[in-house]
Amino acid sequence: MTNYVEIKEHKEKARITPIEVFPDPKVAIVLTYQHTGAVNKTLVSVGDTVAMGQKIADSKEKISAPVHSPISGKVIKIGDIYNSCYAECSEAIWIENDNKNTKDKTLTPISESELKNTPNEVLIKRIRDAGIIGLGGAGFPTSIKLSVPQDKPIKTLIVNAAEGEPYDTADERLMIEKAENLLRGVRVVRKILGNPKVIVATKVSKVEAVPKLQSVFGKEPDTQVIAKHLSYQQGDASVLQKAILGYEAPPGKRSYESGTIVQNVATLNAIANAVFEGDPLISRVTTLNGDVKEPKNILVKIGTPISSILSHYNVNTNDLKQVVVGGVMMGNAIQTIEAPITKRTSSIIVFSKSKSKKDQEQTACIHCSNCISSCPVKLHPIMIYNAIMKGDFDKAEKLWLKDCIACGTCSYVCPARIPLSGIICGSKST
Amino acid sequence: MSKETPQDLIVKSAPHITGPMSKNRLMQYTFVALLVITAITAILWWSVPAPTTAQIDSLKLTNVWQMPLGAIVLLNALIAIGVAVGADALLHKVASDSQLNIWSSAVFGLIVTLSYSLGIPEMAQAADVMPIETLTAPMAFLYVAIISLIGLVIFKKIQGIGGRKYVNPAAAAKFLVLLPFIGSVFLAKDHFAAFASGGLGVPNLAGAIGGGTAPIGTNGVASFVTYLQGCYKNPAIATPPDITSLMILEKFHGWTGGASAIAVIIVGIALFVLARKYIKWKVTVAYFISIFAMSIIMSAIYADSDMVTRLLFEVFIGSSIFLGFFMATDPATTPFTGTGQIIFGVGLAILTVLIQTYMNFFGGALLALLIMNLTVPLLDRVGIHKPFGR
Repeated sequence: MTNYVEIKEHKEKARITPIEVFPDPKVAIVLTYQHTGAVNKTLVSVGDTVAMGQKIADSKEKISAPVHSPISGKVIKIGDIYNSCYAECSEAIWIENDNKNTKDKTLTPISESELKNTPNEVLIKRIRDAGIIGLGGAGFPTSIKLSVPQDKPIKTLIVNAAEGEPYDTADERLMIEKAENLLRGVRVVRKILGNPKVIVATKVSKVEAVPKLQSVFGKEPDTQVIAKHLSYQQGDASVLQKAILGYEAPPGKRSYESGTIVQNVATLNAIANAVFEGDPLISRVTTLNGDVKEPKNILVKIGTPISSILSHYNVNTNDLKQVVVGGVMMGNAIQTIEAPITKRTSSIIVFSKSKSKKDQEQTACIHCSNCISSCPVKLHPIMIYNAIMKGDFDKAEKLWLKDCIACGTCSYVCPARIPLSGIICGSKST
Repeated sequence: MSKETPQDLIVKSAPHITGPMSKNRLMQYTFVALLVITAITAILWWSVPAPTTAQIDSLKLTNVWQMPLGAIVLLNALIAIGVAVGADALLHKVASDSQLNIWSSAVFGLIVTLSYSLGIPEMAQAADVMPIETLTAPMAFLYVAIISLIGLVIFKKIQGIGGRKYVNPAAAAKFLVLLPFIGSVFLAKDHFAAFASGGLGVPNLAGAIGGGTAPIGTNGVASFVTYLQGCYKNPAIATPPDITSLMILEKFHGWTGGASAIAVIIVGIALFVLARKYIKWKVTVAYFISIFAMSIIMSAIYADSDMVTRLLFEVFIGSSIFLGFFMATDPATTPFTGTGQIIFGVGLAILTVLIQTYMNFFGGALLALLIMNLTVPLLDRVGIHKPFGR
């Protein structure tokens, strides 16, 4: 039995803060590459006029997802900027807002009554055309995830409503405020997957969301809301699957192999918007939390510079020590607050110089082996780390380096503050 | 237009928060636990008076300081901690890559203190066969200082340079420093050799332990219970308490840290609970279960009529009880994997009982620990479990 490490949630204020709509940016900076997969090609040039929701970058490769203009206006620059999805600079399109909100109408809404008769290919194409990717953080194109071979029947759809990352409450607010829309998203996915049973997996600590989910999903056939105590690590799709179904999915295999698809709340919300409203993914809900006076949950346009969000909420940028996007456990500490919001920016967590404690220096391993007993996927982090540091990658591979889910728990518990997770994840991708 | 001037933001790999337990905090917890045990021993042993002039004469002791045993414990602790922390700070000053670990050094100092033997047992009647001065002040101070210094410099710092410590620093330093006296300090068969006939006999555990006044083994003349009572009772009290309360509640000779077995157990468990997951409790559990089992096996082999005394001795002797909780769990010199830790504990117990039985090395856990420490690189290869879903 695995004892998961409990990590303080830090969500008290944020979870009771309703989503507010953040003003559209004067200049949106849209990164052309935000998903996991093939790099997109820019479809517009400087000087072009674009409509809100117009596709501005795409790829012909299968594993990809297009990006769209979040506002209407004029392309004023194409260049590189810091991309928080990859912690490096990549291509982006600068669009100056003309404040006309001219909408692109390429995607036509499908009515709820039409859903039953809409072919799966049409729905999957819609999900791709809307640029939907896993919004829980992985960024894998959702259209590919839902393209399940016919001979692999899906028995269960798990709605990942755990939102394990500390500080983050964007999903939780969606559950409270958009539960009906989530249900619409679930219906689309269910239709595509051949009507599997649905389990909405959430945490008991989400006291407002749980009854809301129960009342909305309770009437749906063959659908169950499971609210239980889930640790941070159980927000990972495979670990959650074990918590809910008691089944350990083999690593390295596509999720459909085990007959289960896990879909994140924010992704389902985007799917519902794409199918029933014809809206591509040009905005998302993100949490602003950490060393801020009032935490916020905001519906923000993708491409909005993080600096404008910080200044809008009077965050003292001179006192910034660290700004983390996408979760304090798994996200990236950004190099510059000029970086724009991406599809994967589930949160912006601010740590200030004045409120932070001094960072503890890394010291030698004391061999406490807590990283081993704490790993939710039963790896031996310190042994993998030692192998990597010796350059013995064969040994690291034999210790199943590639099975790491990058949850960061090993680094979190390490009393010597060794960056186990950082080194292991870094080596995994090479 | 974007301003791409990077702010002074800290960029590092995830995660961006850390757990509440740091190395320093873990060391502070351990230090407090050890300090409690030190205090309990000091209080218990305050009632043990300094050797009387008559004793000093008969034991041919020279230059012994007249102070209660409890005071020696406290001074030992101060000296050992002072030497360890001072050496650590000095090394840090002269060698820039030597990390300053004040708390770790302080813990080390207390381990040295608590694994050092003090107090003159009743049957000690001849000074010419063993350096009995080491059991009291001021020689005890000198030895503790040397063990602390050698332990910190050689076995903690120099040994740690390669990234792996092979042996427990406190155990290795004590063994090394007291090695010249191995025949007299460690090996019970030579204890009081001058009294092999007529005096209080020395037990040999490779024989049946009988009740009452029946001799044990072939070389002993007193019962094992009498021997232990003479060994551990407070010399200020004429009639020794029963063997069970002596072994479990209060001993007045032997490892400083083992004076009160029950205190070690309570404090040890409290530390395990407080620093849950950071202390290798599996070693301790495996060790004591195996010590218990080995005692029963030995008792069966030698057809003891007094199994309880053998059990009490093997489980609650100071070296066993203190080492089992606070030295065998030293993270640096014990295995990574859970299975490795269990094998380590079992091996430690088997060796301890065998050494105490067949080498007459009472306190054999010390040697057993050093041997088991050396097996850790091998034990780290066992018990590597398959990950999730494989």
